[in-house]
Order: sequence, then C-alpha cells, then structure tokens
Amino acid sequence: MRAPHPDDFTSRLRSPAVAARVGVWLGACFLICFATGLVSHWAQLPAPAIPFPTRPAWGYRVTQGLHVVTGCAAVPLMLVKLWAVYPRLFERVDLRAGRQALLVGLERASIGVLVAAAIFQLATGLANAAQWYPWSSFSFRTAHYALAWVAIGALVLHVAVKLPMIRAALGADVDDEALDRPGALRAGAVSRRALLRGTWAAAGIAVLATAGGTVPWLRQVSVLAVRTGEGPGGVPINKTAAAAGVLDTATDRGWALDVRVDGSVAARLTLADLRALPQHTVDLPIACVEGWSAQGRWSGVRVRDVVAAAGAAGGADVVVTSLQESGPFTRTVLPAAFVEDERTLLALDLAGEPLDLDHGFPVRVIAPNRPGVLQTKWVASLEVTT
Amino acid sequence: MSAARWLLGGLGVLLGAYGAWLALTRQDTGQLLEIAVWLAAGVVLHDVVVAGVVLAGVVLGRRVLPRPWHAPATLALVVWGGVTLMAVPVLGRFGARPDNPTLLDRPYLGTWIALSVVTLAAVATAGAVRARRGRDT
Repeated sequence: MRAPHPDDFTSRLRSPAVAARVGVWLGACFLICFATGLVSHWAQLPAPAIPFPTRPAWGYRVTQGLHVVTGCAAVPLMLVKLWAVYPRLFERVDLRAGRQALLVGLERASIGVLVAAAIFQLATGLANAAQWYPWSSFSFRTAHYALAWVAIGALVLHVAVKLPMIRAALGADVDDEALDRPGALRAGAVSRRALLRGTWAAAGIAVLATAGGTVPWLRQVSVLAVRTGEGPGGVPINKTAAAAGVLDTATDRGWALDVRVDGSVAARLTLADLRALPQHTVDLPIACVEGWSAQGRWSGVRVRDVVAAAGAAGGADVVVTSLQESGPFTRTVLPAAFVEDERTLLALDLAGEPLDLDHGFPVRVIAPNRPGVLQTKWVASLEVTT
Repeated sequence: MSAARWLLGGLGVLLGAYGAWLALTRQDTGQLLEIAVWLAAGVVLHDVVVAGVVLAGVVLGRRVLPRPWHAPATLALVVWGGVTLMAVPVLGRFGARPDNPTLLDRPYLGTWIALSVVTLAAVATAGAVRARRGRDT
C-alpha cells in the first residue's frame, strides 16, 4: 500500500473556492473568540494596568456569550474547511529544491501549528463550557490563553502566506476551476453553492442550539445548551455549597462578616447588622466564563457602605475572601472602581428571597460587568488597605 | 511577496511566539507535556479518525445509496456531523454533578436521537422526491 497522493482526492468540492469562503467565516469566528477572550482575561487580572470598566453592566455577558457561541459555530466551519484542504496534507515536499523546500516545509509546519492549536482551543473550550475537565495536569486558563496567541499568530501567518490565493478565490465565481488542483476533476454529490449553504446551516444550527445559555428568548430553542437557565431565584448554579465544602461554615449561626482595615478587624457584622444597614436592589446579570448568563434582582448592602461603616476611606481596592477554603477564586480583588460603584452589593436576597445556600448564603458579591468567578459567594471577610 | 504580506506574516510569528513563551514560562514540564499530547492528539483525531471515518462513510454511501440520495445524504452529513461533534461534551454529560441539578439539565441524548431521526427522514424524503423527478444529480 502506498501513501495517499493529493490526486487521489478527485472531488471538485475540495477546492480553494470552498476553502476560502468557509475560511473567511472561520477566521472571523477565531478573531471574535480571540478578542472576547482577551476581554475575559483582562477582566480576571487581579491588578490590571488599565482598570476594567464597570459599565455597561451587561458588557461581560455579551463578550463572553459571543466567545462561547462563536466557538460552537467554529466546529462545523472548521470541519468543512479542513475537509476542503485535506488532500494538501499529502503533498510531497521536493527536498532537492533547496531554499524553496525550506520555505514550503516552514509553511507546512505553520499549518500544523495552526490546526493543532485551533483544535486544542475548540476542544478544551467546549469541554470547559460543559464543566468537563478531561485533562489531568495543565491549567485550563493558562493553556487556553497561551494557545489562543499561538492559534491567532499561526492564523495571521497563514492568511499572509495565502493572501493572493484567497483574493483570487474570492474574486472568482464559486464554480471557477482555474485554482483547482489538477486531480480535482470529479463533480461532487452536491454543488459548491449547496455545500456552502449546508455549512452555513450547520454553523447556524450550532449557534441556535447553544446561544440560549445566554440569550433568554432562545432558551426554548437551544436544546444543546449546557443549562436550561433554571435555578433558585431563576439563576443557575456553577458551584454548589457542597462542592465548595462550605455547608457547615455558611450555615453556622455564629457567622459574621469581618471587615479588616490595614490588617486589623475594624468591624464584625452579623447578618442582622447587615440587614440593619440601608438596603438597595439592583438588576444585574451573573455572566460566567462558561458563556452562560442570567439576570437577577439582587438586594443587599452596598460594598462602599460596608467599607465606610468600618471607618475606611473610599478609593481603595477591597480583597474579598470566601468561606471556601481551596480553589483559585477564594480570594479575589474587587478593584476600587467596582467598590465605589453604587450597584456593587453584598447581596443578601435574590428575587425577593434570602440567598440560596448554593448562591452564596449568607452574603455574596454582585457587581456590574464582572466574570461570574469573581462574584465571590459565601463571603467571609473584606479587607481594605488604605 | 509584497512588503505588507511579509509584515503580516512577521506579526503572526510574533503573536505565536508570545503564546509559546506564555505556555513555556507558566506551566511546568509535566503540564507542558500534557499540552503537547493534547495538541498532537487533536491533529491525529481529526486527520486520521474523523477524516478516515468521513472518507469511509462517503465511499460506503456512494456504493450503497442510489444516486438521488447522494446529495441529501452529503448535506445531512455536513449538518448532522458538525453539530454532533460540537455537542459531544453535553451528549456525554461528562461534567454532570449529582449536587448540581442546574447543570447539564436538558435531555441531550433524546434530543440528539430525535435530531438524527429527523435528519434520516429528511434524507429519505428528499432522495425519494429526487428519484421520482428523475433527477440524478
């Protein structure tokens, strides 16, 4: 048996005409994923050089929803794109061609990097969105962030290399054969136009089947979304009190919120103390890195009021510590801009009911335009350093 | 190659190198090894397994299915295959946790079976219509 040769793939559908057209949309998906991913990374930095904005409140909900939905749409697009160019995988490099062979080899290597990084991003992203972590050692956040740069870099290089071919393919009629491989002579089972329409349909269905996780009016349609959007107070739960190991500490009658100022406890506020402070109600979304989001009506005390009640001056970051003892988000920094925002609450109620244990009872942070992982639940203490 | 393309290509190399540097400096050797395994496995999974299954399926389909069914079956494969692969994490419900009923709380497998049946029915119907019309493409 000999190795396959590009001419073994005879379908006219496997053409630059199809690859370029699908590639435009796939590239757009990757660019959106990259840009929104950078926003998410920025939002999670503990001390960003440029402060993350507190407005609009729905900003992170939109960017992260887009991130996950475009990632879903990219799956069928990438499958068709790779199918269209698959014969080129078997092209031989003529090693006698010297410098030319080196360039071709480098280009092939860059395609390998692009495909490997792109598949890695989609596979790990989709798994993470469904709270499935089939890897054992690497950090999803670090790996997904680093490989995003690799994927986008390889994509930019790929576009630079292929630019004349892309322009020629997009400039010509979809059925034009001038750019086809010499072996691509057999008519496909469908026309190129039909294949492209099928591809757009697949990407469209992928979007509709998942976008309801963040677009409320699509909930009934999104049959493959990770969540229905149901949950206590109309808000789903990412991590339960049981999973966080706070069942005892969060329900302890002796619970009180420690407010530390410059290292020493300046105030200890029981649940009754917190209820005695001025109460405020805000409509804010919980928007998770997994791409789902839900609007909630939260009531409680303003974080800035609590800080002031402890006698601390405003304008400083606040470190929020959870009762949860392990995990990367047990201690988070609430930047000064969020502390000062009147919509940032230590929430006691959701939808008019006391907070569910799984939503962070006795109190949780709810702030505008923040990733869900930073909306700390089961708050144990606030620390202000002035 | 024009200067603009060289510039764009250079930018791509820089972006990619930054990503490689991020990975190499923020993960230890064991973690990097697992990332490398995942990167390689993704390529093998597509280039050998997925591509191989599709190739075999197309060869089989061309032999087994009468001509009028070829076009609908091809389009069905594109839509059904892409959506199915995307849905693997929810279909397997691998991330489900007994303590969290708000997670993976839809009947994914039933939906997928229904989707598959509808797709098959659509292919069968479209092929039959084409056969009756006497079209062979």
